Parts: sequence; structure tokens; C-alpha cells
Amino acid sequence: MATTESIQNAYIDFVLTEGMQPKSVYIFAKQNEMTEAEFYQFYGSFEAVEQSIWADFARKTLTEIRTQEVWGGYTAREKALSFFYGFFELLKGSRSFAVYSINKQPKGFSTPKVFEQLKAIYENFADEILKEGIETSELNDRKFFSKRYKDALWIQFVFVLNFWINDNSTGFEKTDEAIEKGVNVTFDLFQRSPIDNLLEYGKFLVQNGGIKDRMGF
Amino acid sequence: MADDNKVAPTGNDSEGVQKEQNSIPTTKAQRSAKFITTGVKIGGNYIKHYSKKLFNPDLDRSELNEDNAADIYQSLSELKGSALKVAQMLSMDKNLLPQAYVDKFTQSQYNAPPLSGPLIVQTFKKYFGKNPDQIFDKFNIRSTNAASIGQVHEAELDGKKLAIKIQYPGVGDSISSDLKLVKPFAFRMLGMSEKELDIYMREVEERLLEETDYELEVRRSIEFSTACSVLEHVVFPKYYPELSSKRIITMDWLDGQHLREFLATKPSQELRNQIGQALWDFYNFQQHELRAVHADPHPGNFMITPEGNLGVIDFGCIKEMPEDFYYPFFSLTSTNLLDNKEETIKAFRLLDMIHQNDTPAQIEFFYTQYKEMIELFAMPYINDHFDFSETAFFDKLYKFGERLKKMPEFKQARGVKHFIYVNRTNFGLYNILHELKAEVKTDTYKPHVVLEY
Repeated sequence: MATTESIQNAYIDFVLTEGMQPKSVYIFAKQNEMTEAEFYQFYGSFEAVEQSIWADFARKTLTEIRTQEVWGGYTAREKALSFFYGFFELLKGSRSFAVYSINKQPKGFSTPKVFEQLKAIYENFADEILKEGIETSELNDRKFFSKRYKDALWIQFVFVLNFWINDNSTGFEKTDEAIEKGVNVTFDLFQRSPIDNLLEYGKFLVQNGGIKDRMGF
Repeated sequence: MADDNKVAPTGNDSEGVQKEQNSIPTTKAQRSAKFITTGVKIGGNYIKHYSKKLFNPDLDRSELNEDNAADIYQSLSELKGSALKVAQMLSMDKNLLPQAYVDKFTQSQYNAPPLSGPLIVQTFKKYFGKNPDQIFDKFNIRSTNAASIGQVHEAELDGKKLAIKIQYPGVGDSISSDLKLVKPFAFRMLGMSEKELDIYMREVEERLLEETDYELEVRRSIEFSTACSVLEHVVFPKYYPELSSKRIITMDWLDGQHLREFLATKPSQELRNQIGQALWDFYNFQQHELRAVHADPHPGNFMITPEGNLGVIDFGCIKEMPEDFYYPFFSLTSTNLLDNKEETIKAFRLLDMIHQNDTPAQIEFFYTQYKEMIELFAMPYINDHFDFSETAFFDKLYKFGERLKKMPEFKQARGVKHFIYVNRTNFGLYNILHELKAEVKTDTYKPHVVLEY
């Protein structure tokens, strides 16, 4: 009896040995001793299989990091770092598949289809930790901008993913550095900074400094 | 930390008002930017100094030096890694640096900003496939101290308290580029010639790169602590190679105080002598019996245990002494050789202190200067004991260093590269002994001497 996992594994095995997607669901099902109908019970297409593989990486990472004893004591920043490290550690075990799957995506700015589910899970997680961070005032709540924080985190994620694909260092140490530094910089931007104070000062001056009148507004 | 007797092996956080650092300047460009800011600040300090001086001509430079040191220290500690290491190294050479630099730099021996918790977890997963809380019964994710290229965490396993040293990823790569950045500063601060500095930097780079190899450090720690186990009042933590890796070292936690804390408790002369003797024996046993020496005698690498023993906790920096350096150099410490001018000059030539193409006048000049230096250096060896509380000796050393610095002849590089670490080790040792005001029996492990070449 097929399971989502057995189909995922069979699919990974196929694309890595053959270097391409199976010609049809029929061939794939036959090779793996199941009926086409059985396959469709779990997935609508090969793309859906790939999507779920990526999504499972994120789900597994989240389950893993949340069971760590230290999780409860982490700040939003540390939770994000923890996700990144956990994700890429897990991905190491399936690097060939990851490289295959990413390299066949068309280059462009839109999110590739195979990442859609992963992105949903990731954004969900990002939302959760960002909200937490804003509540504890670890992060700065800015009008308009705080809603875009999670986009910044997604861009960061895609960046590290591409970095990792091209990383040749032993044990992907460079990726660790990229994560530590990149995520920290991103969170630094989310924090209250001199720019916020400057903007506020500007606002104050506009309201109370009589600049408006003098400038003839 | 409330209980002062229980501090971590490489520092305490009582001085840790330092803000937790959330980002580390990444690229070389950013690091350079850091240094440029420092440069600007130092410029500002000079302006401040000279404008004050306009009104108060008596103002001496110590306030200026202090301002500069604070800014340089600030930027070095934000850089972390090898730049900090250089700060630590510079702080050893009290003879070379004005007091204000020394005080600020000494701080760097105790504190540097921490790394993120998840990175610690990640490092463990990478090398052991497990989270730290799966390996140890207890693991403190917040580090107790910085160890300049990493940080120290407290853990517990089977009822034993452990110290875990974790190294920052990519330290090795950034060492060379960091050193290039530090160079102009070191150049200005030490007033050395470019060529001399190059030799210095290369040797330093080599040692620093060795320090990033934690597997090597564990091997050496076990080797040295076994070899030195014959020494009285010197103790070492036990190392656990199975719980160590390229970037993690696990060792027993040593309870104790750092030198400065120890001195603050006003220990008795007897106890100070005991610690001083342990230090002396530790260094001279290594130099003369093992011919390889723990070349990082900064106070942060030692703990004074509640039993009055000297705990040694860092074998990252080992200087091996080849025979062609050891014999000519240490033989000079014997008065018999130093009285023989011809043989002494031969030894100086072997050590590259007198060059092939020096004129007779130059030979005479350098012979006189170096002879004086060696005589000073060898003073503790002349009798069977030496009182390091004697300020006169250190004043002489300091004045001699000052005089040399002013002589144009010494702007040129002289002496083989081995001097850098051997001098640092021995003068570092002298300095610590001086701070301890210890009286030490100096004939316990004597130099091996060759009287003729």
C-alpha cells in the first residue's frame, strides 16, 4: 500500500537516477507497483509531489526545533535562526534532490511553483514569531512596514537557499555564516533603530516646529 | 555572578556591561568600515586633545591615549575573532604599549560579545548529530565567556561540571584578512618598521591558524597536561576527545579565580609565592625539557583554584623551539658564555641579531645593546631565586625597551622570528610574576647550555 512518504521517496529516487521527471504517472505507478488511481489518491501531479517534499522539509524542521529544550527561551530572532539552521541541516540529507529541484526552476522573481506550500508554512511560522517579537517589543511595530517583515524573511530564506546550493565549503560552514550574519542583519532592521527616532523627530518638528507655516505649506 | 569563587575558565561576566552584540561585521568591506570609523574617532580624539591643550599646556597624553585605546578596543571587540586575538596579544607587551592601551586591551582578555544560541545548537548537530541537551544532562545555551575565537558554555554530564568551548564558523578564513586590517594600527601603535612587522605578522598568522584547529588543541592539551603532571601545584582540566571536534572542545570545568580576582582577595605572600613558583616551573619545564611552550601567558588562560593550585586552561597556542634557536639563545643566559665576547657574537650571528654584512662598528654597537638585553632577560636565572616584586628590574626592562625604540638602528628587523613568541612568553611570564609579587626559586628547571660554537 502506497503512502505519501513512499511516493515521495520513489519519486526522489526516480528523478535522481534518471535525471528527469517520469514520462507519465502511468509509468511511475507501474514501476512502483501501484495503480494510477492510487497515486492520484495522494497527489494530483508530479509537481504536487515535489511541492509536498519541500513542504515536509519545513514541517519536519519545525517539529524538530520546537522539541528542543531551549525553544521556549528563544527570542524571535533566535527562533528564526533556529529554523534556518535546522532546515539546512535537514536538507543536507537530500542535497541532490534539492539541487535537482532548484536548478530546474526558471530564473525569475516570482516564487517557483514547487515552493508554494513551503512558502505558506514558512510565512505562517514567520508571522507567528514576528507577532511574538512585536508583542514583547523585541521588534519595532512600524506602520505599513511591519506587515512586510515576513517578506523580508522570505527573501532572506531564498537567498540562503541559493547560497547553499553553490556552497562548496566543508560541512557548508559558509552557509552557517551566511545564516548567522544574514538573519541577524534582517532582524537588526526590524528592531528600533536611529532611523525610527529620526523619523519621529521629523514628525514632531513638522507638527510643533512651525515648519509648515514657514515653508508656506 | 554572585559567587566569585565559581567563575568560568576563561573569564567572568562581572565586567559585562558590554551590550550584547547582535550582528558581527561580515564582509571585509564592513570590517574595514569598522576600522575606518575607529580611525575617524581617533582623529577626533586628537582634535579634542589639542584643543584642550591650547588652554592647558600641561595636559599630558595619557587622557588622549586612554580615549584612543577605548575606541580601538571597542572596534576590535565588535570585530571578534582574530582581530581580538591581536588585541590580546598586544596587551601582553606592556613594555611596548602605554599603560592606557594595556588597561583597555586587558579587558579583551575577559570579554567579547556572544554568538547566537541556535548556532551553538547547529554546531553540535553538525559534529555529533545531536542537540547539546541530548548529549549533556544540562547545557547552558547562554555562554559564560568569550574565548576570542569562540565562547565557553557550562554543561553537566553524569554529575560532572564541564566547560564547552565552541568556535565561531569561518574564523580561519577571516584571520588573514583581519591581520591585514590590523596592520596599519599595529604599525602605528608599535612604531615598528614595515619589514619587521611583516615577519611578526606571518609568524602570528601561523600561530593563529593553529589555534583554530580544536582537534589539534585537544591533542596538545592532553600531551602537555600529561607531560606536565610531574609539576607541583599545577593542575589541568581533563579533556574529552570523544566529546570534542574540529570546533568544539569539552573539558572539565575548573573552579577558581582569575589572577585579578585572586589578587583582589589579598592573598598571603606564601600563597602568591606558591602560585608564582607553579607558573615558573610550568613555563621553564616546557621550555627546557619539552622544547615547546604554551606561548599565550595572558592572565585569562589561568585559574587559581580554591586549593591554591594553578589551573591551566588553554593550549591553543604552542611555540615549538628548534634546536638552532634554543641552544644559541638560552646558552646566552649563562654568564660563562656572555663573558666570552667572541662566542657571544657567534651566537648573535646564529640568531640573526648581527647580520652578515654589518660593519665592525655596527657589530660593536649591536653586541653592546643585545648583551645588555640578554643580561636583563637572564637576571632571574643568575641566582637560584628571584624576587619578581622588585620594581627596579621592571623599570630597567621598560627603560631599556624605550631606549631601543628611539634608536634608529632598531627600526630595522633583527633577530629570528622565533623571538616573537619566545619573548612574548617569557616577558609575559615575568609580568604575571611581577603582578603576583612572587618570590620564585629559579633553579628548578634550568636552561641547557652549550658553551662554545
